[in-house]
This record gives sequence, C-alpha cells and structure tokens, in this order.
Amino acid sequence: MVQYLVILLDDTSVSYCHCNNPYKEHRLISLDDLRNGILYAMKENLMIQFVYPDYDLPEEYKEKIESIDHHNIVSSLYFDKLMFEESDVVVFQDWSSVSNYDFEPGKAYVIKTTKTDLFDRYCSLKEILGKVDRLNVVITDVEKFTDGDFESYKKVLSELSAEIEKLYVAGKSPQLNLLTDRMMLSEMNNCGAGETNITLAPNGKFYVCPAFYYENEADSVGDLDKGLDIKNKQLYRLDHAPICRHCDAWQCKRCIWLNRKTTLEVNTPSHEQCVIAHLERNASRELLNSIRKHGTFLPEQDEIEKIDYLDPFDKRADWQ
Amino acid sequence: MTISVAQSVINYILSTSFLVKGTTIIYDFIGGEPLLKINLISEIMDYAVNEMKKSNLGLKFKIRITTNGILYNNSKVQSFIQKYHDHLIISISIDGTKKKNDLNRVFKNGKGSYDSIISNVYLWHSQFPFIGTRMTISHDDIPFVYESVKHLISLGIKKIDVNPVLENVWQEGDEVIYEEQLMNIADYIIDNDLYFDKELDLTCFDEYIGKPLGKKDMINPCGSMFLSVDSLGRFYTCMRFAKYSLRSKKPRIIGDIHNGIDKNKLRPLYALDLQSLYTSECFFCEVATGCKWCPAENYDSSSTGTIYERSVATCNMHKARVRAKNYYWNKIYQKNKWIE
Ligand code: SF4
Ligand code: SF4
Repeated sequence: MVQYLVILLDDTSVSYCHCNNPYKEHRLISLDDLRNGILYAMKENLMIQFVYPDYDLPEEYKEKIESIDHHNIVSSLYFDKLMFEESDVVVFQDWSSVSNYDFEPGKAYVIKTTKTDLFDRYCSLKEILGKVDRLNVVITDVEKFTDGDFESYKKVLSELSAEIEKLYVAGKSPQLNLLTDRMMLSEMNNCGAGETNITLAPNGKFYVCPAFYYENEADSVGDLDKGLDIKNKQLYRLDHAPICRHCDAWQCKRCIWLNRKTTLEVNTPSHEQCVIAHLERNASRELLNSIRKHGTFLPEQDEIEKIDYLDPFDKRADWQ
Repeated sequence: MTISVAQSVINYILSTSFLVKGTTIIYDFIGGEPLLKINLISEIMDYAVNEMKKSNLGLKFKIRITTNGILYNNSKVQSFIQKYHDHLIISISIDGTKKKNDLNRVFKNGKGSYDSIISNVYLWHSQFPFIGTRMTISHDDIPFVYESVKHLISLGIKKIDVNPVLENVWQEGDEVIYEEQLMNIADYIIDNDLYFDKELDLTCFDEYIGKPLGKKDMINPCGSMFLSVDSLGRFYTCMRFAKYSLRSKKPRIIGDIHNGIDKNKLRPLYALDLQSLYTSECFFCEVATGCKWCPAENYDSSSTGTIYERSVATCNMHKARVRAKNYYWNKIYQKNKWIE
C-alpha cells in the first residue's frame, strides 16, 4: 500500500538516491500541481517528502508546503538558511563539500559516492559518524562493481565496523545504513518504490521513483487528473520478486530502478546489487556479534545467521 | 549470417565455461527456410565439429532443423543428412491436408506447396521415422484440425503436437470449434482402436494436462534456455526476443559476439517462478497444467515490457483442449471397462 508521496519541487531538485539527476534547467512544479499533490496526499493518507532544488522557493510555495505535515530533503548546498533548519535529510552529491561541513545531530545525512571515491575517502566517514545520528552512504555505480571491488568494499565495511563498535561501546549509537540497519531489522525493509512510495514530478505526473522520471519522462504511472495507474504493480512487491523473496539481506534497498537497468526487470536484481548487500549483511553480523561481546545489545533481535553465499541467485536450486 | 560471425559464435561458446559445462550442444538452425542455406549450415557444422574436437571438452552435439520440406530431396541437403544423420533432429512442418497446407503455404506463383513436399515427407519419414511434427494452428486453421491430424496419421506420422499459437488471434467461439475438432480426433482414434498403438503420441491428449499446478510445474516452459544468435552476432535467450519476431517491443538483446553475454540479463529467466509470474486466477486455476506460455510472448504482449506478465490469450483454447482430453480418456475407459 502506498504510504509516502515524494514531491520533486523542481527539475533540479536534489537527487538523493542511486541515480543522478540529469536536469540542469530549473522547472518549478506549478502551484496548482503542488496544491493538488498535497490534496492527493491528504485524501490518500500519504506522508509527503518534499525534495528541494538549490535555490530559494517563492513565498507562496513555502506557505503551501507549510500547510501540511511533511519531511524535507535538501541538498547540502541548499540556499535558504531558514528552510534549511527545517530540513530532515541533507544530501551531498559528492565528497567535495563533505570535509568542511558542519554536521549536527538530529538530521539524516546522505553521501552519494562512486565506488572509487568511497574506496579513497571512506576514512573521513569515521569522523562524521561521531557527530551524526544517521548517515546513509549511497553508491551511484553499483552495476560497475568487479570482483576486486567487492574485496575492497569488504575491507571498507570492516574498518567502518570497527569504528562503529568503538562508538557504541563509548555509549554513542550512530546509524550507518550499510552496517547498522540490518542489525535492527527483523524483516525486509527495502526502498519500496512503486509499492509504499511514489513520486510526483514537476510535470504533474506520477513516477515509480525520481530515477524513473530522470531517465524517461514518458515513463509515468498516472497523473494528478486521472490518479495513479501502476501497471503490473504486483511486480514491485516482495512476493513477486523471485530472488529477493528468498533473501535475508533485509537492509538492501532492492533498487527497482537498478533492477530494470541491469536485468530489464523491476523485480529481479543484478548480481552486483546482491553481492554488495550481502557483504553489508555479513559485516553487520560481525558487528552485532562484536558489540554483544561488550554486554547486552538489542536483546530482542535474533542472531544473524552465518551463510555460505553472497548472491541468493546462486542458491536457487534450494528454493523449490 | 556470415561464416565469420558463425565462427565467432562457436569460438565464444566453446571458450565460455558456463555455457558448455557437461552439456550436449544443440545447434538449432531457424529463421526463414534453413535448407536454402544448406551450404552455410554445412560449413558452420564442419567448423563447429572441428573446434569441439580441438577443445577436448568431450562435448556431444545435435543439429536441429525445422524445414518446410520443399528442398528436402536436394542432393546437397541429402549429403548433409548422410554426413550428420545420427546427430540430426530434422522435422518437416506439414499443415495437414492438401487443402489446409495450400491455404497457408503457397509459392510466389500462387500455387500451393503440398504436392511438392508430399514425396519429401515420405523420404523424411523413412530417414527419421521417430521424429514427429508440430502443427501450429491459428484462427483460420481451426476447422481443419481434425482432417489434418487424420491426414498426418495416414502418412505414418506418429508424434503430432497440435499447438494453438500463443498470440492473441482468437475470436469468440473458436474454442467451441476447437473442442469439437479435438473430440472428432478422439472418436477417430478410439473408434479405430488406434490408441493401442503405443507409438502414437498426440500431445493434445496428454494425461498430465488440465490439473491444478503442483511443485513440479514451477519451471520454465521452454525446458531450458538456449543461446540464440542473429545474423549480426547479437545474443538472445530465444529468437522470439529478436526484432523480427516481436510486434511492438524492443528486441531483448543479452549480449553479442564482441562483448559476450551480460549474465545479469539472464537472471530474470532463470529466476522466474510461477508465484512471481501468475495472477491468482492462473495460480489457482484448476486446469492449469499444460496451459502453454512463453516468456517472449509474455514480453511482447505485456503492458510494461516484462516477461513477468503472463499472457492469457490461449486460456479458452486450453480449457477446450482439457475438456476434449477428458472426453478422450473417459471414452477409452468406458469402452474398456468391461475388460477390467
Ligand atoms: S528504486 Fe528506490 S532505491 Fe532505486 S533509485 Fe529509486 S528510490 Fe532509489
Ligand atoms: S540482496 Fe539481492 S536478493 Fe536480497 S533483497 Fe537485495 S537485491 Fe534482493
């Protein structure tokens, strides 16, 4: 069931996920579409997440936005200081402004990175983890991982894990999506595009997620006039995902957009996405076990089992 | 296809371990009329056999050809058949009676092809007595199904696979005529005691069809995946994903001779299971077994370009077949019950 509506306020709204936003020209959503989008969310009981461009919005837009409960997703370069205070999620498009940034608790931060940048610069995450409540690292070239990259990623996770262990022992509890989410979950918690959340683009049309809009404007799944119309919507659900249904890398985003890009099917993930998620899962397992050596930790959570595969697809003979 | 593209394909296959591990390679020549290119096929197979030997992988191979039969008695075709007889699975597609065949298969001059192929059918049948034929039927063919099957049986052909096309060509009432036609076949076989002939194999009366789905049915309908290659060396999982086979969708290419196979693009086909594919209507259908579907037809007819949207165009035709099959087996039972 759809629970969230992501509203892209402008074509240049910050991209917070695996895809990059190719739009360079401003195109602000019309005030009518904004109004109708909010109305739609009210009628359908949806929580709104507004996604901002870098520039200051006109007053009437701010007023409209303030008329409803919502979350704000903004770029680290966002212009409007006042609105910035109100932001819930701050997104870094790359590492360029990360080092001088004044991180503070109470917000979630997203750092988008290529694999190469991550392998070069992950050490700076250690310091950030000491300052924030939540940090999401989002890799933008998952599909390009090679076997050598998997090894490097494993090393990165292990080093970050050691840092998190230190922080937890010292009484802090920062969350890093790659390592702490799986420890705290007891079922799949994926991105939910097309199932629990949909996106309203500045053209007044609905999309499965912002990436589908960025990739092809014609790929809409309805509009504000005629309502939502997701064809084959069962394919966004876990019960129609033949590999993921058998998986316990519960923190995995199960990125529908990457699925379609790499395997041509929204319900089937690539090998790379699965291996990355399993390296995270296994590192979370180690982390959970390590923290528990210092005392009781998440007692309600079961142990994360040891497994002998990194891609559930390789175990498909056991599924029947 | 040029010989150099074909050679690159063979080189790629033989050097790609996941494609050849412990397998028999089936070289399947399709697209247009393959026997028109018998010289090329012959050259490709000579190269392939040589390379397979050199590879020391201990590979076995089969050659599959489906032909319209017109060139079957050609001397080059016959010497190819002699050379590779033990590896060949060659079938002639005959559309039944002269009337029905000539309705579908005509030469450029407008003359039907039946008379030209019938002597070749006898030749083929003498060379490959155990190979059957596939009768693909569309809307216009339904009234001829009974006559056609009877005719094929009279030619000595024992394995006959009657298949309604999977595309949505069906009109209201087709299923009624189809059911009658199949029941006529059932009567013909039973009244003439042909069902005692163990070699007679009509897939339309297969006992397994028309039951609820069981665990064993959770498999890909193609049985196995094939690597298909077009004339430019582009790879598909089946030629039905190539441009010339599709009505409206983009070709679904999984690689080419230069870059190899993109394994990620194979995952949906290998992972596909009925729970992910079926709507609840099909999943819980009480006569679901044997109801044919094909990933490429799913793809072509789907609303979102997915192989995971089950095409149900033949639903009524399948149900008609199930009723006729039930009639067939009940009639046999009634006829023989006094023996038990
Ligand atoms: S499908 Fe989900 S995870 Fe993937 S890009 Fe879209 S929002 Fe992000
Ligand atoms: S790891 Fe792979 S199988 Fe598991 S949820 Fe992620 S994409 Fe699906």
